[in-house]
Amino acid sequence: MIRLEDVSKTYRTDRIETRALDGIRLNVDKGEFVAVMGPSGCGKTTLLNLMGLLDVPSKGRVVLDDRPVDTRRDRELSRLRNEKVGFIFQSFHLVPDLTVLDNVEIPLLYRAITGKERRRMALAALDRVGLSSRVHHFPTQLSGGQQQRVAVARALVGRPQLLLADEPTGNLDSTMGEEILGLLASANGEGTTVVMVTHDPRMAEHAHRIVRLFDGRQVQ
Amino acid sequence: MLRSYLKLAWKVLLRRKFFTFASLFGVAFTLLVLTVATALLDNVFAPHPPETRSARTLGLYGLAMLNGQSGVIGNPGWAFIDRYMRDLPGAEKVAVLQQTRKVDSYVGGQKVSSWLKRTNGAFWQVLDFDFVEGQPYTEDDERQARPVAVINETTRERFFGNGPAIGRLIEVDGQRFRVVGVVRDVSFLRVTPFADVWVPISTARSDAYRREYVAQFTALVLADPSRFDALRAEFASRLASAKPPDPKAHFAGALESYFAYTSRSMFSPRQEAAHPAMLGSALAFLALLFMLLPAINLVNLNLSRILERSGEVGVRKAFGASSRTLIGQFVVENLVLAFLGGALGFVLSSVALLIINRWGPIPYAQLTLNLRVFLWGLLLAAAFGLLSGIYPAWRMSRLHPIEALRGRSW
Repeated sequence: MIRLEDVSKTYRTDRIETRALDGIRLNVDKGEFVAVMGPSGCGKTTLLNLMGLLDVPSKGRVVLDDRPVDTRRDRELSRLRNEKVGFIFQSFHLVPDLTVLDNVEIPLLYRAITGKERRRMALAALDRVGLSSRVHHFPTQLSGGQQQRVAVARALVGRPQLLLADEPTGNLDSTMGEEILGLLASANGEGTTVVMVTHDPRMAEHAHRIVRLFDGRQVQ
Repeated sequence: MLRSYLKLAWKVLLRRKFFTFASLFGVAFTLLVLTVATALLDNVFAPHPPETRSARTLGLYGLAMLNGQSGVIGNPGWAFIDRYMRDLPGAEKVAVLQQTRKVDSYVGGQKVSSWLKRTNGAFWQVLDFDFVEGQPYTEDDERQARPVAVINETTRERFFGNGPAIGRLIEVDGQRFRVVGVVRDVSFLRVTPFADVWVPISTARSDAYRREYVAQFTALVLADPSRFDALRAEFASRLASAKPPDPKAHFAGALESYFAYTSRSMFSPRQEAAHPAMLGSALAFLALLFMLLPAINLVNLNLSRILERSGEVGVRKAFGASSRTLIGQFVVENLVLAFLGGALGFVLSSVALLIINRWGPIPYAQLTLNLRVFLWGLLLAAAFGLLSGIYPAWRMSRLHPIEALRGRSW
């Protein structure tokens, strides 16, 4: 599904050069559920950003669906993200001005889909995460767990092949965390490839495979 | 996509009520002031009744008699008009009118103030008054100094109630006149024709005016526009060879439109140099300056509003929005705001003009909304809205999605 070939990522400011990732070789197969673990600052989120085409490597290359992503063109990367990738963030990142339904519709806005179809798909996604009764609420009117469920619905509504979750349970209590994990497992069960960054070993146990990072290098 | 943008813009505007109010108020209030100011200018200068023939009219509104650095600056006097303007080649008619002045009358023991204007008979042929009763006095009436008057509808009501006025006597400025005609009210802002009561010049109690060169008269020359250049040249030559009472002095003045005269009075009070375009330029500059203030305000508001939404920009980018799409979204939001402000401005302007016409301080005001100016104002507001939206939107769209998600603005 996605392959990182000798990928390094270096951030430069005026004086300091920080190597966030160093020579990562990682292959995630279609339908896999991979957990990425490691201490803070080891490059987990950078890895996820590169896999999600939010960033480009300083060295090496990312291969998505057997096609190297060598473009840096904004429109092309946007199209690939829209069609193939879904994101779940630790702090939910819902748009506060929009209702739950409108938030879930966001990925579909950038596809050639009618408003009616968009609404139908968003309602189905919200139904799947058990939030059918909250579609017209605003994010601030929901609990943390509910907000993350909206975020999961938003990530899944466009039926992405790759779901990237950056500490999706980090801001939730254990019960809510389990619920979210259940949703990810269910998506994975339907064929979606899942890559999840987590600190929590109990959450990571649900994955098929654990990738450990330390100081930007893959240690396991 | 556009429909989604519009829907989204509407939702954002509804959610951010203070921002929406501030922006709408800025646009609407600017348009309100712009349209009211234009309505006032329109009422002063544009060819409305009774000055419908202004395209065929040249006026001598100001005249100066200069001697070195000193001199008399004012309006032409009867003696000047009589001597140098009576037989201008190509002139169909020459209207002569005195400046309007306030006079008192008594009706049933009550003091009534009216505006009185003394004119010649040709005045009624050069200007296009709307008579509701009777007819104007004639050149013969003026020659014979017949005590006749034309009054407006409001004066008729004040003096005679709702009944007819023709043939009845009216006493103004201590003289009695027989009413021969009643016209519709003319706005106070139409300086040249405005009055409540019009009477022949020759009925003045003193003939001292006949000897004055610079006094309180205006002369309007009705002619075919193709003859204007020849008329102006002839007048300039007469002016150059005119002999003022003071042999060392010379006359300065020009045949021109009322707008050109106003411009020249403002920028060249000695009536010497002609600056007809300066007033127009000054007004356009003021309008632009006035529009610039809300534009800067809008840019500022937009900047802070869009910066606040960096998280949203990050999310949209992560889920597939390209930079171009995001610019489109923010620009549509701004355009919706500008057009809503425009609609509100239209309603406010109409109400303001209605209030000024009904209860304002301008007698017989007939201010109308100039649709062309309003649309220009709206276009300008939309352009400012567009510009004020494009810059911050462009900056935000270039933001790296990861930085945007972290909430960093630039």
